[in-house]
Amino acid sequence: MPTRESGPARESGAGGPRRGRGLRAAAAALAALMLVCATGACAVIPTGVRAGAVEDAGRGNPLDSPYARGIAMPPNDEWDPEQLVRGFLAAMASTGDPGHAVARQYLTGGFAGRWRPSGEVTIYEQDGIEADEPVADDTTEVRVTLKGTVTATIGRDGLYRPSSGDLREPFTLVRDGGKRWRIDAGPDGLLLSKADAERAYRGVDLYFLDSKRKGLVIDQVQIPVNPASTRAKATVERLLAGASGALQGAVQTAFAQDTRLIDVTTENDRVVVNLTKRVSSDNVAAMSAQLSWTLSEIVSGSSFEVRVNGESYYPGSPLMIDAQKQLGFDPWTTPADVRPIYLQDGTLHQLGKENVGEPVAGEAGAEKSPRIRPAVSGHVLKQVAALSEDRRSISVVPLVPDGQWKEWVTGTDLAPPSWDRYHSLWTVTHPEPGTSVVLRHYYDDAKQEVKQYRVSAHDLDEVEVTALKVARDGVHVAVAVRDGQGDEEVMIGTVVGEGAGSRIDNLWPVDRVDDKQKIKDIAWKDGKTLYVLTGKSELLEASLTGESKPLVPYAGIESITALDRALLAGAADGKKRQILYWDSAKWQPLVKDENGSTGFVEDGPSHPAFPLG
Amino acid sequence: MPPVKKRRRTPRQLARGVRRRTRRAAGRLRRVFWRSLQLRVVTSTLVISIAVVAVLGVFLEQQISASVLNDRVRAATSEAQADRRTVLGFLAQPESEASKQSGDTGKTLQHSGESPLGEATEALANRAGSAGRYSVVIRNRRLPGAFFGTMNIDERSVTEKMREEVLKKDAGENSPWFSDLYYEGREGRPVPGLVIGTRLDTTGTPLVDDGYEIYHLVPLDKEEKTLTSVRQMLVVVGVGLVLLLAAIASLVTRQVVTPVRLTRQAAERLAAGRLDERLRVRGEDDLARLAISFNEMAANLALKIHQLEELSQVQRQFVSDVSHELRTPLTTVRMAADLLYDAREDFDPMAARSAELMQNQLERFESMLADLLEISRYDAGAATLDVDSVDVRDVVLRAVADSEALAERHSTRFDLRLPGEPCMAEMDSRRVERILRNLLFNAIEHGEGRDIVVSVGADRDAVAVAVRDHGVGLKPGEENMVFDRFWRADPSRARTIGGTGLGLAISREDAMLHGGWLQAWGSPGEGSQFRLSLPRAAGTELRGSPLPLVPPEVEMRRTWRGQMTPMLTPATADGGRDAD
Repeated sequence: MPTRESGPARESGAGGPRRGRGLRAAAAALAALMLVCATGACAVIPTGVRAGAVEDAGRGNPLDSPYARGIAMPPNDEWDPEQLVRGFLAAMASTGDPGHAVARQYLTGGFAGRWRPSGEVTIYEQDGIEADEPVADDTTEVRVTLKGTVTATIGRDGLYRPSSGDLREPFTLVRDGGKRWRIDAGPDGLLLSKADAERAYRGVDLYFLDSKRKGLVIDQVQIPVNPASTRAKATVERLLAGASGALQGAVQTAFAQDTRLIDVTTENDRVVVNLTKRVSSDNVAAMSAQLSWTLSEIVSGSSFEVRVNGESYYPGSPLMIDAQKQLGFDPWTTPADVRPIYLQDGTLHQLGKENVGEPVAGEAGAEKSPRIRPAVSGHVLKQVAALSEDRRSISVVPLVPDGQWKEWVTGTDLAPPSWDRYHSLWTVTHPEPGTSVVLRHYYDDAKQEVKQYRVSAHDLDEVEVTALKVARDGVHVAVAVRDGQGDEEVMIGTVVGEGAGSRIDNLWPVDRVDDKQKIKDIAWKDGKTLYVLTGKSELLEASLTGESKPLVPYAGIESITALDRALLAGAADGKKRQILYWDSAKWQPLVKDENGSTGFVEDGPSHPAFPLG
Repeated sequence: MPPVKKRRRTPRQLARGVRRRTRRAAGRLRRVFWRSLQLRVVTSTLVISIAVVAVLGVFLEQQISASVLNDRVRAATSEAQADRRTVLGFLAQPESEASKQSGDTGKTLQHSGESPLGEATEALANRAGSAGRYSVVIRNRRLPGAFFGTMNIDERSVTEKMREEVLKKDAGENSPWFSDLYYEGREGRPVPGLVIGTRLDTTGTPLVDDGYEIYHLVPLDKEEKTLTSVRQMLVVVGVGLVLLLAAIASLVTRQVVTPVRLTRQAAERLAAGRLDERLRVRGEDDLARLAISFNEMAANLALKIHQLEELSQVQRQFVSDVSHELRTPLTTVRMAADLLYDAREDFDPMAARSAELMQNQLERFESMLADLLEISRYDAGAATLDVDSVDVRDVVLRAVADSEALAERHSTRFDLRLPGEPCMAEMDSRRVERILRNLLFNAIEHGEGRDIVVSVGADRDAVAVAVRDHGVGLKPGEENMVFDRFWRADPSRARTIGGTGLGLAISREDAMLHGGWLQAWGSPGEGSQFRLSLPRAAGTELRGSPLPLVPPEVEMRRTWRGQMTPMLTPATADGGRDAD
C-alpha cells in the first residue's frame, strides 16, 4: 500500500522539481568547474603530456666562443701624464675601434697624423710607466717611459714569434691647450701587454696542403678579435688569405686565387660557409679537408655545407662536408694503433700486444748488429734506417721476412736518420766541424740504387746540425744546431721542393727556457709541437708560436719519440735500459719481458721509434 | 556638345554630387537602421563587444607583457648581482696575486699590466655563454683603460642618460631601463633590450675605486617576438569573438524578430480590415503566447465588430422601416390636415391656429422623414450620384435664390463673391444645391442678421464654395461635431428655421459621395465658415482646396498679433489636407 500511495505522489510532483534539480545540478557543476579552473588546478603546464620537439636554437651564434674585450675609452682631461699613457696603451689594445680613432684622441694633432699603428705588434710585460721628472703645474712637456720586457711579436700575417729583450718606450707629452695632456711623440706600431694581447688576439690553426696535396700542414696564426665579425668568419677569411710567413712557399691551398668569404652562418644547426668561387673538381676533397680541419672547433664533428655566392655548390645538390670523414684525409693527422720499433740486444723489436716486444721479421730481427737511433718509414713496406755506432753510415732494412740491411749513406758524424712521408731519408753530415750538409735520399726501385741529393739550407751551412727531424706533415722540419760558441738551439723550418731542388727555408728558433743546454734529441709530436730532450734529460714541449713548456724530467733519458699523444723515451740506468712512456703525469716503464716484468735490464729495450717524425 | 558639358562639371559640382549621393545613402541607411530591430541589436552588440574585447585585450596584453618582462628583469637582476660579486672579487684580490702575475711589485693593481677588470669581464663573458643571453659593459671613467665589454656589444647601447642615473644613485642600486641595444657587426640594427646599470658597491674593499659602473644588457628580441605573436593572437581572437558575438546576436534576434515581424504584418492586415487574419502558433514560449493573445484579440474584435455591425444594421433597418411605416399614416394625416387647413377660415381662431400649426409641423415632420429616409439610404449605401458638368456659380445662385425668402425674414443679406469665368465641375447638381442650401440656411440661422459672404473659388483640379457668417461662431472642438446627426450648438436655442438636425450630416455624406470635403471653421465671436471643396472631375482624388478654410481677414489678424500658430487646429475630418 505505501508504494501505491507514494508512487502517484512522486509522479505528480516530478515535472517541476525534477527539471529544477537538473538545472541546479548543472549550475553547480559549472560553478565547480570554474572554481577549479580559477584556483589553478587546471595546470597551466600540463603534466604527463609529451612536449613537442622544439628546435634547439640558442639565440647567439655558436660561431663564436664567449670573450671579453677592451673597449676604447676617450681620454679624461683630468688624468696626469702617466694615466694618459696608460689610457693610450689601453686604447691601443681595445678592439672594435677601427682605424684606432679613439686611440688617436690621446695624441696631439701633429702626432696623430704621423702615428702608424699598423705593422708588427709588440707584446710586452710591463714593469711600470713612469714620468722622467715630477710633473708640476707649470710643466709643459714631460717624458713618460714605458718599461718592461718584450715577450713576443705578432707579425702582420698573424705569426706569433716569442721574443725577448728589454722594452723602454718613451712618450713625450705636452699640454694641449690648457690643462690637458696629450702625447706628442711615441713609438709607431702597437704595443700590447700580454693580457691585452690575449684578449685582442685569438690563436687559430689554419690547415694548408703539402706539395703533393695529400697532407695537411698546420699554420698557427693569431687573428685579431673583431666584434663585428665572428671567430668562424675571421678564421675562414684568414685561411683564404693564405699561409703565414712560417710556411712561405712550402704549402699550397685548394682554394682558387682571389676566393673570398661572403659569410659563415648557421642554418638549422648546420654551419654554412659561403664563398665567392668554386674550386676545381680535383680540389674539392682537399678544400673540404682544409675547411673541416680549420673549423674543427666550430663544426665539432658534425657536417657543414659550402655554398658559392649563396647557391648550392653543385647545381641542384649541396656540398655537405662530413667533418668526421675528413679526419681520414691525411692519415698522419690521426694515427691509430701504431706500434713502435725499438732496439733490444742489437736486434730490432716491435712492441706487440700486452706491451711485450717481439723481433721484427728479416735480418734485423734475427741477427745482432751494433746500430743505434733507428728511424721507421711511413711506407706500406716499412723500412727502418739506423745509424752505425761510429756514426759514419746509415743502413736501411725493409721489415720483410727476407729483409737485409743495406747501407744507404756514409759520411762523417752523421745525424740520426729521419724519414719523411715521401719515403725519402734525411740526415746531416759534417764534412768539417762547424759545417753541415743536409742530405736527402731516395731509393730508386727500378735501378735498385739510392739517390742522394744535397738539400740547400743556407742557414745551416755554417753551423753544426746535431739532429734533423722532418715532421709527419712533410713540410715542417726541426733541426738542433750548435753554433761556433757551442750554444745549441732548436729551429723549425720548412721543406720546399723535392729531389735536387729541395731546400730548407723559413728557419726560426723556438723559444727555450734555458739557453745553455745541450740538445740530445728532438721528436715531433704532431704538426705543430716538438719535444726537445736536453742534455740534463729535461724534456720540453716546444713550438714556433708559443713558450716552451717543461715536462717532468727523468734522469737517464737518451732518446725520445712521439706520435700524437704517445710519448716514449729510451732511458738508461747504468748499463740497464728500458723504454718509458709518459702517462701525462709521470714516466712509466713500458716494455714487458716474457715474465711480464717491466724492470730495467741489461741490453734492455732502447731507442724507441714511431714511424716518421 | 558633350565636352562642353563635361567642362561644366566643376570639381565643386562633383563634390556636391558625391555629397548628395552620400547624404541620400546615409538617409537610406538611417531609415533601414531605425526600421530594423535586428540590425539595431546586432549593431549595438557589435559596438559593445568591440569595446569590451578591446578593453580586455589591452588589459590582457599588458598583463602578459608585464609578467614576461618582469620575469626577465628579475632574472637579469639576480645575474647582475652575482656578476657584481664576481667583479668585486677580481678587483679586490690580494695585491700579491696580481703582482705575481705581472711580475711587478710595489705597484697598485691598476698600475700592473694585467687588468683584473679584464679578467673579471672574461669571467662574466664565460658565465653569460656564447648564446648571447646577455652582455656586460664595465667601465670606470676615472681610471685609464677601465672599459670592458663582452662579445660584440656596442658601447652605444649604454647612453649618457643611463650613466648619469647610475652615478646619481647609491652604489649597488639597480637602475633598469628598456632600451635599444646595438651590436657590432649587425649594421646598426638595434635590438630591443633591457639594460640594468649599477655602480659597484665597494663597501669593505677600500683599495677598489668606487667609480665602476656595470651594465647588464639583456636582449629581449625573443620576448618581443613572443609578445608580438601574443598580440596578433589576441587581435585575431578578439576579431573572431566580436564577429561570433554579432552572429550570435543576429541569430538570437532573428528568432525573436521574425515572429514579431509576422505579428506586425498580421496586425497591419487586421488594421486594414481583414479580421480573419490569424497567427500561426508554435511552441509555448512568450512569442507563442503573444500569438495566442493576438489571435484571441482578433477573434474577439471580429466578433464584437460583427455584433456591432448587426446591431447597427438592425437599427438602420428599424429607422428605415419606421420612416416607411410612418409615411402611410402620415399621408392620411396629411390629407386630413390639408382639408383642415384649407377650411381653417371656417373655424374659430383657436382651431384655425391649430390647423396652421399642425400644417407647419406636418411639413417639418415630412421633411424630417425625408431626411431620415435619405440618410438611411446613405447608411445602406444606396445613394447614387447623377453626375453632370455644371457651372458651380449657377448652382450657388440657385441655392441663394432659394434662400432669399428666409434671408429676408431674418433681414440678412448675401454677399456673393463669384469669379468672372464659369467654374465647371462634374457633380450631381441637385445634391450640391442641397448642400449649399443647407449651409445657407445654417448661416442664416446662426448669422444673427449679419451679412453672409458666399465665395466661390476654383483652380485646375477643384472648385470650392465657402459660406461665411458672422454669428456666434463655434467653440473649439465643435468644428466636427456640427456634422453629427441631431447635434445642436446650444440646446436651449429654438430652431427658428425648423431644420431637421440632419442637414449638415446629409450634406457631409453628399460631399463625401462626390469625393469632396465639407469642413467647418469657427471661432467664438468671429462667426464661422463652412467650405465645400469638390474635384472638378468626378472620381478623382482631391488634393487641396482653392479657398482657405479660415477666412483670410481672420488669418491676417492672427499674424499681426504675432500668434503664428493657429489656436484652432484645422478640421481634419476628411483627411485634414488643406491648401494653406
